[in-house]
Amino acid sequence: MNENDENKQIENILRKAHLPEPSIELKERITSVIKKVWNQSSQEIPWQIPVRRLITSTAAAVLIISIANFYSNQALESWHPGETQVTREQLPDFEILPDIHYRSFVRHPISSHRKSFTPDASALRNYVERMRKILNEKHQNVSPNGQVFDEGRSRLFPIQPGPDYYS
Amino acid sequence: LDKKLPDNMLQAALAQNDPAAVVMIWERYASDLFAYLQAVLCSRHDAEDVLQTVFVRIVQKRHRLAKARHLDAYVYRIARNEAFSFISRRKREPNVETVNKSWLIAPEGHKEQNELAEQLQAVLALLPRPQREVIVMKIYRQKTFLEISRILGLSQNTVASRYRYGMEKLRILLGDTLS
Repeated sequence: MNENDENKQIENILRKAHLPEPSIELKERITSVIKKVWNQSSQEIPWQIPVRRLITSTAAAVLIISIANFYSNQALESWHPGETQVTREQLPDFEILPDIHYRSFVRHPISSHRKSFTPDASALRNYVERMRKILNEKHQNVSPNGQVFDEGRSRLFPIQPGPDYYS
Repeated sequence: LDKKLPDNMLQAALAQNDPAAVVMIWERYASDLFAYLQAVLCSRHDAEDVLQTVFVRIVQKRHRLAKARHLDAYVYRIARNEAFSFISRRKREPNVETVNKSWLIAPEGHKEQNELAEQLQAVLALLPRPQREVIVMKIYRQKTFLEISRILGLSQNTVASRYRYGMEKLRILLGDTLS
Protein backbone atom coordinates (compact mmCIF):
# COMPACT_ATOMS: atom_id res chain seq x y z
CA MET A 1 0.00 0.00 0.00
CA ASN A 2 1.50 3.30 -1.04
CA GLU A 3 1.44 6.59 0.87
CA ASN A 4 -1.57 8.02 -0.98
CA ASP A 5 -3.68 4.96 -0.27
CA GLU A 6 -2.71 5.07 3.38
CA ASN A 7 -3.58 8.76 3.54
CA LYS A 8 -6.97 8.07 1.97
CA GLN A 9 -7.56 5.30 4.48
CA ILE A 10 -6.71 7.67 7.37
CA GLU A 11 -8.96 10.36 5.89
CA ASN A 12 -11.83 7.85 5.67
CA ILE A 13 -11.34 6.87 9.29
CA LEU A 14 -11.24 10.52 10.36
CA ARG A 15 -14.44 11.23 8.42
CA LYS A 16 -16.31 8.64 10.47
CA ALA A 17 -16.47 11.34 13.12
CA HIS A 18 -17.33 14.98 12.59
CA LEU A 19 -16.98 18.33 14.27
CA PRO A 20 -20.15 19.69 15.90
CA GLU A 21 -21.74 22.78 14.42
CA PRO A 22 -22.46 25.74 16.68
CA SER A 23 -25.69 25.07 18.54
CA ILE A 24 -28.80 27.25 18.20
CA GLU A 25 -28.39 28.41 21.81
CA LEU A 26 -24.83 29.47 21.05
CA LYS A 27 -25.99 31.32 17.95
CA GLU A 28 -28.68 33.18 19.90
CA ARG A 29 -26.29 34.02 22.72
CA ILE A 30 -23.56 35.32 20.42
CA THR A 31 -25.83 37.21 18.02
CA SER A 32 -27.52 39.01 20.91
CA VAL A 33 -24.12 39.98 22.34
CA ILE A 34 -22.78 41.21 19.02
CA LYS A 35 -25.94 43.18 18.28
CA LYS A 36 -25.42 45.05 21.54
CA VAL A 37 -21.79 45.69 20.65
CA TRP A 38 -22.83 46.79 17.17
CA ASN A 39 -25.35 49.30 18.54
CA GLN A 40 -22.88 50.66 21.09
CA SER A 41 -20.12 51.10 18.54
CA SER A 42 -22.46 52.50 15.85
CA GLN A 43 -22.69 55.75 17.79
CA GLU A 44 -19.01 56.20 17.23
CA ILE A 45 -18.19 57.83 13.90
CA PRO A 46 -15.25 56.19 12.07
CA TRP A 47 -13.13 59.36 11.88
CA GLN A 48 -13.30 59.65 15.66
CA ILE A 49 -11.23 56.51 16.09
CA PRO A 50 -7.88 57.90 14.76
CA VAL A 51 -8.53 61.22 16.50
CA ARG A 52 -9.13 59.45 19.77
CA ARG A 53 -5.95 57.42 19.30
CA LEU A 54 -3.99 60.58 18.56
CA ILE A 55 -5.29 62.24 21.70
CA THR A 56 -4.53 59.16 23.77
CA SER A 57 -0.98 58.88 22.43
CA THR A 58 -0.37 62.61 22.96
CA ALA A 59 -1.62 62.36 26.54
CA ALA A 60 0.62 59.34 27.11
CA ALA A 61 3.65 61.20 25.70
CA VAL A 62 2.95 64.24 27.91
CA LEU A 63 2.59 62.00 30.93
CA ILE A 64 5.88 60.21 30.23
CA ILE A 65 7.74 63.51 29.73
CA SER A 66 6.24 64.98 32.93
CA ILE A 67 7.26 61.92 34.94
CA ALA A 68 10.78 62.08 33.47
CA ASN A 69 11.03 65.80 34.34
CA PHE A 70 9.74 65.21 37.84
CA TYR A 71 12.30 62.51 38.59
CA SER A 72 15.05 64.57 36.96
CA ASN A 73 14.21 67.54 39.22
CA GLN A 74 14.12 65.30 42.25
CA ALA A 75 17.52 63.88 41.39
CA LEU A 76 18.98 67.37 40.97
CA GLU A 77 17.54 68.53 44.29
CA SER A 78 19.16 65.70 46.17
CA TRP A 79 22.54 66.34 44.53
CA HIS A 80 24.84 68.73 46.48
CA PRO A 81 27.90 69.98 44.70
CA GLY A 82 31.10 70.51 46.71
CA GLU A 83 31.78 73.94 48.19
CA THR A 84 32.93 76.25 45.52
CA GLN A 85 35.64 78.80 46.25
CA VAL A 86 34.82 82.17 44.97
CA THR A 87 37.80 84.40 44.28
CA ARG A 88 37.55 87.92 43.16
CA GLU A 89 40.00 89.10 40.66
CA GLN A 90 40.57 92.77 40.53
CA LEU A 91 40.95 93.78 37.00
CA PRO A 92 43.88 96.08 36.45
CA ASP A 93 42.89 99.56 35.72
CA PHE A 94 44.12 100.06 32.26
CA GLU A 95 42.92 103.60 32.20
CA ILE A 96 45.91 104.53 34.30
CA LEU A 97 48.56 103.54 31.89
CA PRO A 98 52.01 104.99 32.04
CA ASP A 99 52.41 107.92 29.84
CA ILE A 100 54.00 106.33 26.89
CA HIS A 101 54.04 107.43 23.35
CA TYR A 102 52.38 104.25 22.00
CA ARG A 103 49.59 104.48 24.58
CA SER A 104 46.89 105.00 22.00
CA PHE A 105 47.92 101.80 20.21
CA VAL A 106 47.96 99.76 23.39
CA ARG A 107 44.67 100.93 24.76
CA HIS A 108 42.62 99.71 21.86
CA PRO A 109 43.64 96.02 21.99
CA ILE A 110 43.42 96.08 25.77
CA SER A 111 39.91 97.46 25.76
CA SER A 112 38.75 95.08 23.03
CA HIS A 113 40.17 91.99 24.79
CA ARG A 114 39.39 93.11 28.29
CA LYS A 115 36.75 90.48 28.87
CA SER A 116 38.64 87.58 27.43
CA PHE A 117 42.03 88.52 28.79
CA THR A 118 42.01 88.83 32.57
CA PRO A 119 45.44 88.56 34.13
CA ASP A 120 45.66 86.54 37.30
CA ALA A 121 46.43 89.30 39.78
CA SER A 122 47.14 87.01 42.72
CA ALA A 123 49.59 84.90 40.72
CA LEU A 124 51.31 88.06 39.53
CA ARG A 125 51.48 89.35 43.06
CA ASN A 126 52.97 86.09 44.27
CA TYR A 127 55.49 86.10 41.50
CA VAL A 128 56.57 89.66 42.28
CA GLU A 129 56.77 88.81 45.95
CA ARG A 130 58.94 85.80 45.26
CA MET A 131 61.22 87.76 42.98
CA ARG A 132 61.56 90.46 45.57
CA LYS A 133 62.54 87.93 48.19
CA ILE A 134 65.15 86.38 45.90
CA LEU A 135 66.57 89.77 45.14
CA ASN A 136 66.71 90.66 48.79
CA GLU A 137 68.57 87.49 49.58
CA LYS A 138 70.98 88.10 46.80
CA HIS A 139 71.61 91.66 47.89
CA GLN A 140 72.41 90.53 51.39
CA ASN A 141 74.86 87.95 50.11
CA VAL A 142 78.42 88.75 49.30
CA SER A 143 79.36 88.65 45.65
CA PRO A 144 81.83 85.92 44.53
CA ASN A 145 84.70 88.41 44.16
CA GLY A 146 84.19 89.77 47.66
CA GLN A 147 82.02 92.72 46.78
CA VAL A 148 78.83 93.35 48.69
CA PHE A 149 75.73 94.42 46.82
CA ASP A 150 74.10 97.53 48.12
CA GLU A 151 70.49 97.39 49.13
CA GLY A 152 68.20 98.47 46.35
CA ARG A 153 70.71 98.13 43.56
CA SER A 154 70.40 95.64 40.79
CA ARG A 155 73.01 92.96 40.63
CA LEU A 156 73.02 93.39 36.87
CA PHE A 157 74.89 96.65 37.30
CA PRO A 158 78.22 96.23 38.92
CA ILE A 159 79.40 98.67 41.54
CA GLN A 160 80.85 101.74 40.05
CA PRO A 161 84.61 101.17 40.02
CA GLY A 162 86.77 103.71 41.74
CA PRO A 163 89.32 105.93 39.98
CA ASP A 164 92.10 103.45 40.62
CA TYR A 165 90.06 100.48 39.36
CA TYR A 166 91.72 100.29 35.98
CA SER A 167 95.19 101.12 37.21
CA LEU B 1 -29.08 34.25 3.66
CA ASP B 2 -26.54 32.77 1.37
CA LYS B 3 -23.55 31.23 3.15
CA LYS B 4 -21.37 31.91 0.15
CA LEU B 5 -22.21 35.57 0.02
CA PRO B 6 -19.45 37.34 -1.92
CA ASP B 7 -16.87 39.21 0.11
CA ASN B 8 -17.68 42.54 -1.50
CA MET B 9 -21.38 42.35 -0.54
CA LEU B 10 -20.54 41.54 3.04
CA GLN B 11 -17.92 44.29 3.13
CA ALA B 12 -20.40 46.76 1.67
CA ALA B 13 -22.91 45.88 4.41
CA LEU B 14 -20.16 46.39 7.01
CA ALA B 15 -19.13 49.72 5.49
CA GLN B 16 -22.72 50.95 5.48
CA ASN B 17 -23.10 50.00 9.13
CA ASP B 18 -26.01 47.76 8.17
CA PRO B 19 -27.13 45.70 11.23
CA ALA B 20 -28.05 42.83 8.90
CA ALA B 21 -24.31 42.32 8.45
CA VAL B 22 -24.22 40.73 11.92
CA VAL B 23 -26.34 37.81 10.75
CA MET B 24 -24.43 37.64 7.47
CA ILE B 25 -21.14 37.36 9.31
CA TRP B 26 -22.53 34.63 11.53
CA GLU B 27 -23.88 32.61 8.62
CA ARG B 28 -20.70 33.03 6.68
CA TYR B 29 -18.10 32.27 9.34
CA ALA B 30 -19.60 30.61 12.42
CA SER B 31 -19.18 26.96 11.38
CA ASP B 32 -15.71 27.34 9.92
CA LEU B 33 -14.44 29.40 12.85
CA PHE B 34 -15.98 27.02 15.37
CA ALA B 35 -14.24 24.07 13.71
CA TYR B 36 -10.96 25.96 13.55
CA LEU B 37 -11.16 26.99 17.20
CA GLN B 38 -11.94 23.44 18.28
CA ALA B 39 -8.91 22.24 16.33
CA VAL B 40 -6.67 24.84 17.99
CA LEU B 41 -8.06 24.54 21.52
CA CYS B 42 -9.07 20.84 21.53
CA SER B 43 -12.12 21.81 23.58
CA ARG B 44 -15.70 22.49 22.51
CA HIS B 45 -16.50 24.54 25.58
CA ASP B 46 -13.45 26.79 25.19
CA ALA B 47 -14.16 27.13 21.48
CA GLU B 48 -17.67 28.41 22.29
CA ASP B 49 -16.26 31.06 24.63
CA VAL B 50 -13.58 32.16 22.20
CA LEU B 51 -16.05 32.20 19.29
CA GLN B 52 -18.09 34.81 21.14
CA THR B 53 -15.01 36.95 21.72
CA VAL B 54 -14.06 36.58 18.07
CA PHE B 55 -17.45 37.82 16.87
CA VAL B 56 -17.33 40.75 19.27
CA ARG B 57 -13.91 41.67 17.84
CA ILE B 58 -15.22 41.30 14.31
CA VAL B 59 -18.04 43.73 15.07
CA GLN B 60 -15.68 46.17 16.81
CA LYS B 61 -13.29 46.08 13.86
CA ARG B 62 -15.94 46.10 11.15
CA HIS B 63 -14.68 49.35 9.63
CA ARG B 64 -11.31 47.71 9.03
CA LEU B 65 -12.94 44.52 7.82
CA ALA B 66 -14.88 46.55 5.28
CA LYS B 67 -11.56 47.63 3.75
CA ALA B 68 -9.69 44.32 4.15
CA ARG B 69 -8.18 42.86 0.99
CA HIS B 70 -8.72 39.26 2.12
CA LEU B 71 -11.71 39.13 4.38
CA ASP B 72 -11.29 35.43 5.21
CA ALA B 73 -7.66 35.87 6.22
CA TYR B 74 -8.53 38.86 8.41
CA VAL B 75 -11.32 36.99 10.20
CA TYR B 76 -9.17 33.90 10.76
CA ARG B 77 -6.34 36.09 12.01
CA ILE B 78 -8.68 37.51 14.65
CA ALA B 79 -9.74 33.97 15.61
CA ARG B 80 -6.14 32.80 15.78
CA ASN B 81 -5.08 35.74 17.96
CA GLU B 82 -8.01 35.27 20.31
CA ALA B 83 -7.34 31.54 20.58
CA PHE B 84 -3.68 32.15 21.45
CA SER B 85 -4.63 34.81 23.99
CA PHE B 86 -7.02 32.33 25.54
CA ILE B 87 -4.30 29.65 25.69
CA SER B 88 -1.83 32.02 27.33
CA ARG B 89 -4.48 33.16 29.84
CA ARG B 90 -5.24 29.54 30.62
CA LYS B 91 -1.53 28.88 31.23
CA ARG B 92 -1.42 31.76 33.71
CA GLU B 93 -4.51 30.43 35.50
CA PRO B 94 -4.01 26.66 35.68
CA ASN B 95 -6.58 26.24 38.46
CA VAL B 96 -9.55 27.20 36.28
CA GLU B 97 -11.92 24.26 35.92
CA THR B 98 -12.22 23.01 32.38
CA VAL B 99 -15.38 21.47 30.95
CA ASN B 100 -14.58 18.51 28.76
CA LYS B 101 -17.19 18.24 26.06
CA SER B 102 -16.28 16.03 23.12
CA TRP B 103 -15.21 18.17 20.23
CA LEU B 104 -15.24 15.29 17.79
CA ILE B 105 -18.50 13.38 17.64
CA ALA B 106 -19.83 10.31 15.89
CA PRO B 107 -23.24 9.88 14.26
CA GLU B 108 -25.81 9.16 16.96
CA GLY B 109 -26.71 5.64 18.02
CA HIS B 110 -23.43 3.95 17.15
CA LYS B 111 -21.56 2.91 20.28
CA GLU B 112 -18.55 1.65 18.35
CA GLN B 113 -18.32 4.86 16.40
CA ASN B 114 -18.50 6.86 19.61
CA GLU B 115 -15.47 4.99 20.85
CA LEU B 116 -13.73 5.61 17.54
CA ALA B 117 -14.56 9.32 17.74
CA GLU B 118 -13.04 9.48 21.22
CA GLN B 119 -9.95 7.68 19.98
CA LEU B 120 -9.62 10.02 16.99
CA GLN B 121 -10.05 13.03 19.26
CA ALA B 122 -7.27 11.78 21.53
CA VAL B 123 -5.00 11.04 18.57
CA LEU B 124 -5.62 14.45 16.93
CA ALA B 125 -4.90 16.15 20.25
CA LEU B 126 -1.43 14.57 20.21
CA LEU B 127 -0.53 16.25 16.92
CA PRO B 128 1.33 19.56 16.92
CA ARG B 129 -1.13 22.44 16.60
CA PRO B 130 -0.06 23.64 13.11
CA GLN B 131 -0.51 20.15 11.68
CA ARG B 132 -3.81 19.67 13.49
CA GLU B 133 -5.14 22.98 12.12
CA VAL B 134 -4.45 21.95 8.55
CA ILE B 135 -5.81 18.41 8.90
CA VAL B 136 -9.04 19.58 10.55
CA MET B 137 -9.63 22.27 7.92
CA LYS B 138 -8.86 19.89 5.08
CA ILE B 139 -10.83 16.89 6.27
CA TYR B 140 -13.67 18.34 8.32
CA ARG B 141 -14.25 21.63 6.47
CA GLN B 142 -13.30 20.39 2.98
CA LYS B 143 -10.92 23.26 2.36
CA THR B 144 -8.31 23.02 -0.38
CA PHE B 145 -4.62 23.66 0.26
CA LEU B 146 -4.98 26.94 -1.62
CA GLU B 147 -7.84 28.09 0.62
CA ILE B 148 -6.02 27.01 3.77
CA SER B 149 -2.85 28.78 2.66
CA ARG B 150 -4.79 31.99 2.03
CA ILE B 151 -6.63 31.76 5.33
CA LEU B 152 -3.55 31.06 7.42
CA GLY B 153 -1.26 33.35 5.43
CA LEU B 154 1.12 30.52 4.53
CA SER B 155 2.47 29.14 1.28
CA GLN B 156 0.73 26.16 -0.28
CA ASN B 157 3.90 24.10 0.09
CA THR B 158 4.01 24.77 3.83
CA VAL B 159 0.38 23.78 4.19
CA ALA B 160 0.91 20.61 2.13
CA SER B 161 4.00 19.61 4.10
CA ARG B 162 2.20 20.20 7.42
CA TYR B 163 -0.60 17.98 6.17
CA ARG B 164 1.84 15.28 5.07
CA TYR B 165 3.76 15.28 8.36
CA GLY B 166 0.49 15.21 10.27
CA MET B 167 -0.74 12.23 8.28
CA GLU B 168 2.53 10.39 8.88
CA LYS B 169 2.11 10.86 12.62
CA LEU B 170 -1.51 9.76 12.45
CA ARG B 171 -0.44 6.64 10.56
CA ILE B 172 1.86 5.74 13.44
CA LEU B 173 -0.67 6.66 16.14
CA LEU B 174 -3.55 4.82 14.44
CA GLY B 175 -1.43 1.76 13.66
CA ASP B 176 -3.78 -0.80 15.18
CA THR B 177 -6.95 0.84 13.87
CA LEU B 178 -5.57 0.90 10.32
CA SER B 179 -4.60 -2.74 10.32
